[in-house]
Amino acid sequence: MNRQVFWEKLKSTLHNTWEFIVLFHHGTFVDKRMAVVRKEAFDINDNLMLLLFGDYLGVPNPMSYYMLELLPYVANDLEPWERRIQNRKFLIAEKAAQYDFD
Amino acid sequence: MRRFTFFGGKGGTGKTSCAAAYALSLASKGTRTLVVSTDPAHSLADAFGKPIGFETALLRENLWGLEIDAEVEAKKYMKVIQEKVLDLVSAAIVEEIKRQIEIAYMSPGAEEAAIFDKFVELMESAGTTYDSIVFDTAPTGHTLRLLTLPEILETWIEHLIEKRRKAMHLMKMAARYDSVLADKIKEDPIIETLSARKEKFALARRYLTDSALSGFFFVLNAEKLPILETARAVELLGKHGVHVGGMVINKVIPPEAGAFFEKRRSAQEGYLADINSRFSSFVRVELPLLDSDIQGVEQLEMMVPLLGALDASGE
Ligand SMILES: Nc1ncnc2c1ncn2[C@@H]1O[C@H](COP(=O)(O)OP(=O)(O)O)[C@@H](O)[C@H]1O
Ligand SMILES: [Mg+2]
Repeated sequence: MNRQVFWEKLKSTLHNTWEFIVLFHHGTFVDKRMAVVRKEAFDINDNLMLLLFGDYLGVPNPMSYYMLELLPYVANDLEPWERRIQNRKFLIAEKAAQYDFD
Repeated sequence: MRRFTFFGGKGGTGKTSCAAAYALSLASKGTRTLVVSTDPAHSLADAFGKPIGFETALLRENLWGLEIDAEVEAKKYMKVIQEKVLDLVSAAIVEEIKRQIEIAYMSPGAEEAAIFDKFVELMESAGTTYDSIVFDTAPTGHTLRLLTLPEILETWIEHLIEKRRKAMHLMKMAARYDSVLADKIKEDPIIETLSARKEKFALARRYLTDSALSGFFFVLNAEKLPILETARAVELLGKHGVHVGGMVINKVIPPEAGAFFEKRRSAQEGYLADINSRFSSFVRVELPLLDSDIQGVEQLEMMVPLLGALDASGE
């Protein structure tokens, strides 16, 4: 293999690797960032649901009559949401236990 | 011309009688008038001596009556929602959803909310179907809540919309790399529904706080407690920007009542003086105590000329 060919080959390998690294990092970076954004969006939404339908979980809501008109659009989400909120309650209770609040 | 006239005050002071008589006076002048009771314990039909229900009833030329029935209104509302829900929801949770609707229907605020919705709907019909609406309201506490509800709920709903916007904004960011999500959030019926609701509250508030359109009249008797209650209510309405048109001091014992009433009458003089000094900036009308209850159109009409002074304000 002469020098020329070797360098060309190396260059192209490096180039590909570089591209691969860039792609890889970009990919994970965007995915990770987007996962965070997504999670925040869903968390805000879960909190919103608590304001809208808290009475289903025993949190009184003076507006529950008006919130009914949102029901058609969130009905399918209600059950998974309730589960997430229950989990969250559980997590908070667990954390609180660690800190030993008295 | 004033489009919305409210008669409010303690129970038994004469709200219904005044609202009925005032509505009669408007109608006889050719104003298409609707008189509406927002008091769950209706007595408008008794005052007119004619049946009135949750659907508008013609009482005489240019005059219609209505007694808001919270239960009927709530049922209508539930029915529309139920139909929509059943269209959009997976079969597995239909029963669960029906139960949730049932719960909200029984919730403490439901009656008030149902009355409020009908109230706004009627206000919207003024200016087209009717020229003027006269409200015979429930005792003070209930009515103050009804009138201040829009301001409080508007703020609350703005907060909900804000939260949803924020969530949607973040979801849109995330959706740039996620076409499934992007499709899901293209339009948001939740923001649309909340905004429509907010608009309703805003509209009610615009009507209620426009002194050219709305006027609130307190009906009170010359006694200690009604005076104190009225003073507090005037202050609260002022805070919420609802225009107080004036006071009707009802059941004033006339001098010709005789010796038997003399003691009461002199106590009343003191309260009348108190009313005149406390509420000097408002129009005040005094109505005499009659020798019998006020029932039926003929008797109501006797009060009409006395209420004429109420038109002097709010125009
Ligand atoms: N000026 C008056 N003289 C005699 N009776 C009156 C007078 N005003 C009202 N009434 C009677 O007092 C009762 C209560 O009046 P109403 O208008 O129903 O009060 P409210 O609606 O404030 O509860 C009714 O029986 C009514 O006929
Ligand atoms: Mg009444």
